Amino acid sequence: MPRLPNSLLRKARNINSLLPALLGPCRDLTSAQNELRWLREHVHKEAKRRSKKGDTLAKADLLKTLVECRAKGFPLQYLLGSEFFGDLEIECRPGVLIPRPETAASVTHLAKLIGSAQNLPTELRVLDLCTGTGCIPLLFQNEFRSLRDNIALRLLGVDISRKAIALAIRNRRRLHQSNKDVYKTATAFMLADVLSNPFADSAIDSPLPLKSALNHRRLPAFWDILISNPPYISPDAFRTTTARSVRGFEPRLALVPPQEAGSSHVEKGDTFYPAIFQAAKDTEVKVVLLEVADLDQALRVARMAQMRNFDGVEIWCDQPDQVNDSIPEASHGIPIVGQGNGRSVVCWQGIGAEWLEKKAASIESRPMKEVLEQTLAPRFELERCADDTVRLPRFLFRARTQLVDEWGLPVKWSTQGDKKKS
Amino acid sequence: MRATPWICRNCLSRIARPANRLRSSRFQSTASTSESVPPALLSRARSIASEHKQLTEKLADGFDTRAAKKLGEYSAVVTALKDWEKAKESVTELTSLIHDPTTDPELLALASDDLDATRTQLANASSNLTTSLVPIHPFAHLPCLLEIRPGAGGSEAAIFAGDLLRMYQAFCNRNDFRSNLLKYENVNGTQEAGIPLSEAVLEIDSENAYGVFRSEAGVHRVQRVPATETKGRTHTSAASVHVLPSLQESSLGENDIDDPESDYYIDPKEVKLEVMRARGAGGQHVNTTESAVRLTHIPTNTSVSMQDSRSQPKNKEKAWVLLRSRLAQLRRDKREEEMVAMRRSVVGVARMGRGDKVRTYNWGQQRVTDHRSGTTVHDLDDVMQGGQTLSKVMESVRTWLMEKDVEALLAEDAPAREGKK
Ligand SMILES: C[S@@+](CC[C@H](N)C(=O)[O-])C[C@H]1O[C@@H](n2cnc3c(N)ncnc32)[C@H](O)[C@@H]1O
Repeated sequence: MPRLPNSLLRKARNINSLLPALLGPCRDLTSAQNELRWLREHVHKEAKRRSKKGDTLAKADLLKTLVECRAKGFPLQYLLGSEFFGDLEIECRPGVLIPRPETAASVTHLAKLIGSAQNLPTELRVLDLCTGTGCIPLLFQNEFRSLRDNIALRLLGVDISRKAIALAIRNRRRLHQSNKDVYKTATAFMLADVLSNPFADSAIDSPLPLKSALNHRRLPAFWDILISNPPYISPDAFRTTTARSVRGFEPRLALVPPQEAGSSHVEKGDTFYPAIFQAAKDTEVKVVLLEVADLDQALRVARMAQMRNFDGVEIWCDQPDQVNDSIPEASHGIPIVGQGNGRSVVCWQGIGAEWLEKKAASIESRPMKEVLEQTLAPRFELERCADDTVRLPRFLFRARTQLVDEWGLPVKWSTQGDKKKS
Repeated sequence: MRATPWICRNCLSRIARPANRLRSSRFQSTASTSESVPPALLSRARSIASEHKQLTEKLADGFDTRAAKKLGEYSAVVTALKDWEKAKESVTELTSLIHDPTTDPELLALASDDLDATRTQLANASSNLTTSLVPIHPFAHLPCLLEIRPGAGGSEAAIFAGDLLRMYQAFCNRNDFRSNLLKYENVNGTQEAGIPLSEAVLEIDSENAYGVFRSEAGVHRVQRVPATETKGRTHTSAASVHVLPSLQESSLGENDIDDPESDYYIDPKEVKLEVMRARGAGGQHVNTTESAVRLTHIPTNTSVSMQDSRSQPKNKEKAWVLLRSRLAQLRRDKREEEMVAMRRSVVGVARMGRGDKVRTYNWGQQRVTDHRSGTTVHDLDDVMQGGQTLSKVMESVRTWLMEKDVEALLAEDAPAREGKK
């Protein structure tokens, strides 16, 4: 990481002697000032809490200690004990991954879509694999309930980590106390291993495979929606692209999939996705939302979905509720929704298309050539030229690369305006 | 040029609450206390009265909601006019009685006694009549936001900005205005008190707050020896105060937000929402708290950003409140400018602009002078503690404002009368 400029450090010191230390993890002055303010508020709150109990607290000392921890890269959320996730405040503890705002954005978006859907079952079942703090089912519930009250919800969060399950249960209890109406729903958290195969031998005290655990707990075998933010960082990317505070202080178990020997044909960050698709198939879910690291991984995962014959696939960016204002509206025939980095893959089948308001088979997900031949050619003049190339109307420009690269169509970019057949 | 309605701006009338309720506000100031009513206002009152009569007759034939509503709006003027005419008549009668040499001496004594009382009555009636005709500010009934920022003068300006904030907070406490700090940032970017202020937004969440505080907008100047000054020299610094009507969703009807004609309306499609994105890859790769939200209204390029809270939805909510207020103010300013341009062509009424120096606080002389109303008071401490003396200054400005409004009203009438000739 580049060194911080001296002028910045000096400026920070002039403002407050604690600030330069925070510049390390924060990198810019505004974030450092914000963090200092939040830490200070935390100390005040802590002091008040203790004085109620008759204790006293050396505020300045505590603040100094917290700043020192933070300077070493210890995550602010672990110091403060919580992170905001959408509208919820989720308790955080070392050993369990801190929820990320991008996850909240896609879960909120999905819950809003489903919450305004027609033809939902009377009990909607939502499965969250790799649940961590339990933030996903808890937020889904909160968002869904704000739109719908006439549908029963059943939610289940699954994780391999005992620490995570214990924390998820604490989070559920706290939210339930604060809002009994919303959290009256049946939400369960269960220890299980998403990766292991029910037929493989396993050690006696290791978590059961998902399918066996569902069975063992007498939980439903069939679900409607599957959400997962599984570990998706490859060991290489872990070393090179994660922030120090992530690498040094958050559990590796939550970030990097286990590496099996001889599985070099799969990208090392992708280990969980085939297992999750298998679970989606077993549980017969209609809608799947999977978080990924970036557009490349999104495309790989989307292709897995296509191969598994989902009726439709699309990629959601960091902010799926915003209008896509960047150039590619689709990549390799897969629509891209929203703004920011490629962040998740959404796929659906059967009635799931209706819940997401997709036509049974969306036109975008069909290969471009087919789209071109069946849909466009009869309606638009696709000029054939002497050299047997086709002139495309202007609006199809974006599709050009795909036509050329993937289907080898000889295409010319026409500078004349669109020509509609009358 | 568009016509200027007299009770309230056409497009805003749905926001303004019934006028009589506003007038009963204890902060409603009175206009000049002279006995006379400007002839133009008087003729306007008379034409309203005759229209009132016609409407009454019309209503006798059958009910008409619009006519009934107008009648309600006019009745205050009509009553005020009647009172004024009665008082005027009594004065005339008494005066002629006194001047009549044939008047019986005993009666003369009585008459001159009466004359004083009747004169007072006339003065009151005049001011009532004027008040009933002068437009009420269409946002007067709303809560407001007071934004305070240091101006020229370095850290002394920042300290003074903090003084002003405390002054208004104290004023609110004493006068039962609910206030709460929406945003507070000292020069360190923290919320610690005792450090010079960089920006504060005080929300005054009571009815009529905008009507009371809007006259505080402008540049407030301070002249004193700063605490940091070693040679004992007096410095001049300044802080600026912006006052915006607060457009909390709760203070508005649903319609106002959804109605494209309303000043509060913002087409969500025209607002760009930016959240601070995690640098680089995002997702599991980083864990910094990125809760800052920026909203930009694209057509006007107005943008507000908020990062007080760790919760992004909360920041978003606060940012919307601020954006709504700023835009509504912008729209109103624009309309007002159009009107001012028109007025200026006739009498040159100066609008109280944001950039204008409005008041001076002089520590050496322990005085506060408001440059608009020309009022000077000497109990500086009481002013800074938000006491009675501050109320007095503020009231003087409200009176001044109203007088300006009357002038403007007359100016608007002038071309109309010219045209009739
Ligand atoms: C990236 S975290 C996601 C946590 C949470 N859903 C969120 O969005 O904040 C991945 C989670 O997967 C869990 N996990 C790792 N391996 C697993 C496995 N084989 N089966 C089930 N859960 C696993 C980890 O304990 C961790 O809590």
